[in-house]
Amino acid sequence: MSGSKSESEADLTPMLDMVFQLITFFMLVTSFKAASLDLSLRLPVVGSARPVETEGEESLLILNVNKEGQLMVYSLPQEIGPYLKAEAKMARLEAKRKSSSFKDTDDLPTTVVVRADRDTPFSLLNLVIKNCQDNGFRKFALKATDKAGS
Amino acid sequence: MSRRKKKHSEGGVELNLAAMLDMAFQLLAFFIMTFKPAPIEGQINLKLPPPQPVAGAANAKKAGDDESNNDPVKNLNSLIISIFATSNGRVATLAVGEANIAGTTALDGRLKQVLGPESGASFDQVILQVGSKLKYDELMKVVDVCTKQTLANGEKLTKLSFVELPDGAQP
Repeated sequence: MSGSKSESEADLTPMLDMVFQLITFFMLVTSFKAASLDLSLRLPVVGSARPVETEGEESLLILNVNKEGQLMVYSLPQEIGPYLKAEAKMARLEAKRKSSSFKDTDDLPTTVVVRADRDTPFSLLNLVIKNCQDNGFRKFALKATDKAGS
Repeated sequence: MSRRKKKHSEGGVELNLAAMLDMAFQLLAFFIMTFKPAPIEGQINLKLPPPQPVAGAANAKKAGDDESNNDPVKNLNSLIISIFATSNGRVATLAVGEANIAGTTALDGRLKQVLGPESGASFDQVILQVGSKLKYDELMKVVDVCTKQTLANGEKLTKLSFVELPDGAQP
């Protein structure tokens, strides 16, 4: 009995404590929202663009538009018309669920976040914006960076 | 009884932590691998008015009643900025109303005169007429200047609307 006990056995408890702390840290800082951003896009550079605090309850619709004017959703190109129609329907249902006074003709509370490549010609971008407006989206946020490198 | 007491004093139940540690390491590996800090991006918030004339409601007119009215925001007090594009997507000419403007710095000064509190004007929105080839990067520079402006009523200008100029439009 004592022979088997004498084999040195490391105390794993402190290591486990530390690993759990690391896990907690990474769980807290991981945000799966970043997956919906297309990081291959080169955003336009605007000196005064600052990150804006968006309140948690605000719903966002992120649109990645590459320089060919394609709408990229989780790195797959989507048809602009049907996709926005479906999103608008969802947003409308959610708005109705939140407040019963919401009518179909009201402006949608969702903010459309446009992440377009800096080389996108206006004609293609305008298609996307027009389509959003036709579907009832009114609030827009145009994304930009403040440094040329990224 | 005495046997039991002896066992207790030896350290009681000892859990095998190795399995738990293995699992914890797996979780840790997963979170480290999926960890990708979101890039810090700025944004410009806009309120884009609906394509129908909103101010026309006072005359009990419905959208599309007036066939000859193809100006989407006719009765709002709108200022029109035209941006003509070169074939490679740069700004060719910039104009506020009818007057040409040299560049974005000059545009800032001009807009301050036209929109600002001391102008006495009642503009509350800006229509950007944009050449179809203009690159988004260049457009954002103009949008940026516009959103910096303060209106006569003290509010920030956030109402913008975009109109596309036909291909090859010249000033």
